[in-house]
Amino acid sequence: MAEHLIHSEQEGWALATVMARRAVGPAAVGAALELELRDEPVAVSNGAIRAIGTGPGAWLVIDTEPDHGFADALQDRLEGLASVSDQSSGYAVFRLSGAGARTALQRGAAIDFHPDVFAPGSVATTAIAHIGAIVWQVDDSPTYDVAVFRSLSGSFRHWLEETAAAL
Amino acid sequence: MRLPCPYCGDRDAQEFSYRGDAGPRRPEGEDGLFDYVYLRDNPAGPIRELWYHANGCRNWIVVTRDTRTHEVHGSSLARESGA
Ligand SMILES: [Zn+2]
Repeated sequence: MAEHLIHSEQEGWALATVMARRAVGPAAVGAALELELRDEPVAVSNGAIRAIGTGPGAWLVIDTEPDHGFADALQDRLEGLASVSDQSSGYAVFRLSGAGARTALQRGAAIDFHPDVFAPGSVATTAIAHIGAIVWQVDDSPTYDVAVFRSLSGSFRHWLEETAAAL
Repeated sequence: MRLPCPYCGDRDAQEFSYRGDAGPRRPEGEDGLFDYVYLRDNPAGPIRELWYHANGCRNWIVVTRDTRTHEVHGSSLARESGA
């Protein structure tokens, strides 16, 4: 049997983009969120929420077991420091795992997922099969999460199924 | 061709939109506006150019590229290099 790829869509997650205001650094935003934020494409977590670095001063913040009003609560904590935009319905997040997960990603994206250069906590904002995607590695089994704009999730799922079948 | 994004690392040039010479500055008034909009040098050698990382971190960057060899000498965020 070919390499195995398991994929599923995450349900019930709350997501929001956080963009630092002019002259506000990652340390100040991180202090307000109790996260050690840096201006690097990495994922950090404090057990309650995690932040995915998507650009200088920009993060996708995720709560996998959210209370109602997640984005409003974020906005309160970041008053004057950063702008918050609720993306819970804007992005769909797919989880890829199994022995074929790395190979599958490698067939869709033009970046290197070799473990020497892309490890748990690494993040890449790129295109997979021409679909804008934010990819981060969850663990070294390996497991990856991939966020795509929800309106393109049907196309992304189609690519996943075709790729899995060809592994 | 691969371009070095200061945030994302080396990426395929197809992830970027090309804007051109990072040098020209918009004039205050109408004087010099034609030159600013239309006239560009065509240097043989290193040039600083604007690229937008559309399929990445969505930042404008300035890449120094040698037009004779396509050798890339480095990059910086446009907002940090005054472009
Ligand atoms: Zn970038």
